Amino acid sequence: MPNFSDTIVIRRGILRRIPARIESIAVAIAAFVLIVVLPCLNAFTPPGSGLHVSDFTINLYGKYLCYAILAISVDLVWGYTGLLSLGQCLFFALGGYMLGMHLMLMIGRLGQYHSDLPDFMVFLGYPRLPVHWVPFRHFWFAASAVIWVPGLVALAFGFLAFRSRIRGVYFSILTQALTYAASLMFFRNDFTFGGNNGFTDFKFVLGHDLRSPATQRGLYVCTSVLLLVVYLGCKWLTATKLGKVQRAVRDSENRVLFSGYATAHVKLFVFVLSAIIASLAGALYVPQVGGINPSEMTPDKSLEAVVWVAVGGRGTLIGPVLGSIGVNALKSWAARAYPDLWLIILGSLFILVVLFLPGGVVSLPGIIARWWRRRRDASP
Amino acid sequence: MRLPPFSLPALARAVGALLCAIWAGTHAEAAPMGDGAVRQTLVHAVLASGPEQQRLLEQLSASGSRLARETMTAWTRDEILIYVGPSGPKVPVILEEQQDAQGKARARRLDDGSVLRDPQGIELRFAVGDLDSVDTDMRQRAAIQQALDALALSDPDPDARRSAVVKLGNSQRTHYLPLLRARLGVESDGAVRKALQAATALLELGGSDLTSRIAAVRRLGDLAAVGAVDRLKQVQAAGPPPLAAAATAALARIERHITIINFFGTLFRGLSQGSILLVVALGLAITFGLMGIINMAHGEMIAVGAYTSYVVQNIFGSGFGFHITLPFSFAGHPIAFGFSLPGLNATGGWYESYFLFAIPLSFFMAALAGIVVERTVIRFLYRRPLESLLATWGVSLIMQQAFRMIFGANNVQVNSPAWLLGHFTVHDVEFGYNRVFVIGFAVLIVIGTWLLLTRTPLGLFIRAVMQNRDMASCMGVRTERINLLTFAFGSGLGGLAGAFLSQIGNVGPSLGQNYIVDSFMTVVVGGVGSIGGTVSSAAAIGTSDQVLQQTTGSPVMGKIIVLCVIILFLQWKPGGLFSTKSRSLD
Repeated sequence: MPNFSDTIVIRRGILRRIPARIESIAVAIAAFVLIVVLPCLNAFTPPGSGLHVSDFTINLYGKYLCYAILAISVDLVWGYTGLLSLGQCLFFALGGYMLGMHLMLMIGRLGQYHSDLPDFMVFLGYPRLPVHWVPFRHFWFAASAVIWVPGLVALAFGFLAFRSRIRGVYFSILTQALTYAASLMFFRNDFTFGGNNGFTDFKFVLGHDLRSPATQRGLYVCTSVLLLVVYLGCKWLTATKLGKVQRAVRDSENRVLFSGYATAHVKLFVFVLSAIIASLAGALYVPQVGGINPSEMTPDKSLEAVVWVAVGGRGTLIGPVLGSIGVNALKSWAARAYPDLWLIILGSLFILVVLFLPGGVVSLPGIIARWWRRRRDASP
Repeated sequence: MRLPPFSLPALARAVGALLCAIWAGTHAEAAPMGDGAVRQTLVHAVLASGPEQQRLLEQLSASGSRLARETMTAWTRDEILIYVGPSGPKVPVILEEQQDAQGKARARRLDDGSVLRDPQGIELRFAVGDLDSVDTDMRQRAAIQQALDALALSDPDPDARRSAVVKLGNSQRTHYLPLLRARLGVESDGAVRKALQAATALLELGGSDLTSRIAAVRRLGDLAAVGAVDRLKQVQAAGPPPLAAAATAALARIERHITIINFFGTLFRGLSQGSILLVVALGLAITFGLMGIINMAHGEMIAVGAYTSYVVQNIFGSGFGFHITLPFSFAGHPIAFGFSLPGLNATGGWYESYFLFAIPLSFFMAALAGIVVERTVIRFLYRRPLESLLATWGVSLIMQQAFRMIFGANNVQVNSPAWLLGHFTVHDVEFGYNRVFVIGFAVLIVIGTWLLLTRTPLGLFIRAVMQNRDMASCMGVRTERINLLTFAFGSGLGGLAGAFLSQIGNVGPSLGQNYIVDSFMTVVVGGVGSIGGTVSSAAAIGTSDQVLQQTTGSPVMGKIIVLCVIILFLQWKPGGLFSTKSRSLD
């Protein structure tokens, strides 16, 4: 096997980024708009007025912001550490399933079969609630499970993978296989997670009606705050010494290893952390979308999340957010306007970005500025 | 064992008739009859009655003639009609199926097979109710039926003989016993002999003598007669104690036999599945293992091959065409394109041979697609393997959507040629020809690939470029061209796999998706860059997948277990089964 890994990354290092000051100002403005302005416009303006933001829009943005958190988690392992994980959607969906279990139990007797059991269990003929479902009656147990279940899965898998020094494309293939196996498992009816229909028809979360606009607005605010926290946290993390080691692992793992760093530990930490971030995003995604099913955890979905990051700009934190919102907005529009061509648009976008814009959209200003400077220098 | 397909039917019929003649024993006057003689006997039998008719029927049943069988079947359905002409004699006729506008059809004479005409030579036409059918009472019908059954026992085709034997065995009518025993004395085909033994035992089981019944049950157990399970279970539940005990023992033996059959059947299916996986993974082993390119569009190369088979099939049939209108318009005109290929409207063996053309074409179409992908996308990514994964995933999305637009989102129908449809049976294990064909072809492909890589100048260049691209380039190898050819070859192998898949599964736009994860795992387990490793891991994964599906009773659990085992296996051997030993640090 020829060795390519060392040559790639040096190019990535000189990619132009958005200057730090402009980025922080832009983030502050965007955070203010997303966290304060939009919910206020939704809550306090009358539906007919020009300033009103509809419930639908709030819900849609809530979804996009969940994707943005997922994209940051992908970027943390891929853009910063060089591990192309195709399993991020598995953790995203796992988080969704953990909270979904609680939401299913909160439906109570309001389901179609008016039973204490969730509808699908009645339908599939379960005599009583399976043991592992019982503690999920408590919100706090479910909320903690959102963190520790994907965390443990990532820990176990990451430990095995990094211990035997599986890296590069092999890591991608293995995470893809893991995700595939998990999705097959969740597609099974007797796996007690609702088979291919998954969970749906949620009614209440913490006593609030999920169908009311106020609850949805609250969830949206939670999502946007979480996004800000994740963004700032990752910004801090990547600026620490750990962040430097992380990037060093990406750029040349062997040199880091020979310098005396336990790269496996660094990678394991980042992998577990990003799994937890993805899982939190999934947990917030499920009540806003109103359901979760195994098709959310197929390898294809993980690849789609990777697309967002690549389009936005890997190795930056603002890139994944821009990419996930931009690509999903494009998807919503194209899926309505040109349903047949959507996949072709997505595919071409991806090929073009990988081939001609490896730094993603965020590298565009730098490229243009450089081009402009060169033009100016050429003709004084 | 089957009779070889080239055995002369005439010879077989003569032998069959001869054997029947021996069975006929006391009334041994029957000799092989020509169609003319059969027709005369038939006419006499139709018009005769009583013992005379009985004698004629026995003669007919010994004739082994297909014509006699068809006519007698028509007789039991009251389709033989009697025409009484103006001149007097009764003429038995059968109406043709094709009716004219008045619902009338021509009548064919039973005696010489010609069309019935009036004295002026004009064809006579009748509606169904115009003529009386031959009177038959219950006894006659039974006699005809028995003659028919005996005829079936002497059918030249062993498969037909066997199913006739099985039918008689399950009839529970003891009067068939002498017939079957006599046939057993002359039967030469092994499978039919076994069926005959089982059938006689089954009929003896229906008798009244306890000792012979127990003996029959024992014999069924010794024969491991799978078809007798239901009957034995009845006996086990309701028969007298010694008989029930014998039945239990026999059932246990049969049960054991069934387990063995299932095991080997599963093994065989697993092998064929593994050999498809092998061809798919071989293509990947070349693009991924040798070139370092992760081709996520490899699955779509499979689909290209499968759809090529579909198109070739349609060209041999009624033609193929498609038409796409894009949702854009240019200067007021919607952008649309499409083309159609005329069909050859071939029939029979010529049509059946379409698959022989489809195999090389699917290789070339997939190779062509590979060339396009290599030139437009992959050649920019040779130094960025991770990114090749992403870009080729984009290619895969585009290709899937293109399939949907051209061929529709639903599965398309690819008919297997008749020569791939049958199966042969060894000790009750069915071996489908299509699967045997796939296994055989996979072996050929592996050998061919190995020869290409190790025995040709191209193979030498490929290996040189893969080991050290820069050095090979310095030595004057045109690395660009070698890359292109290697990638095209890898894609072409995917196309071949698609052609085979079209014979044993459905063909749809996401066909390749089902194989991509499996085949990547196969390459990783086998050891990247090692053909031998790919071969053994494909066989192991394909077979264990099938065996686990069988034992866990669910197709999904088997896959999950295999995937988990693979992940654990890589802990033990991270480089795969046959990892290439190298001192370089990767």
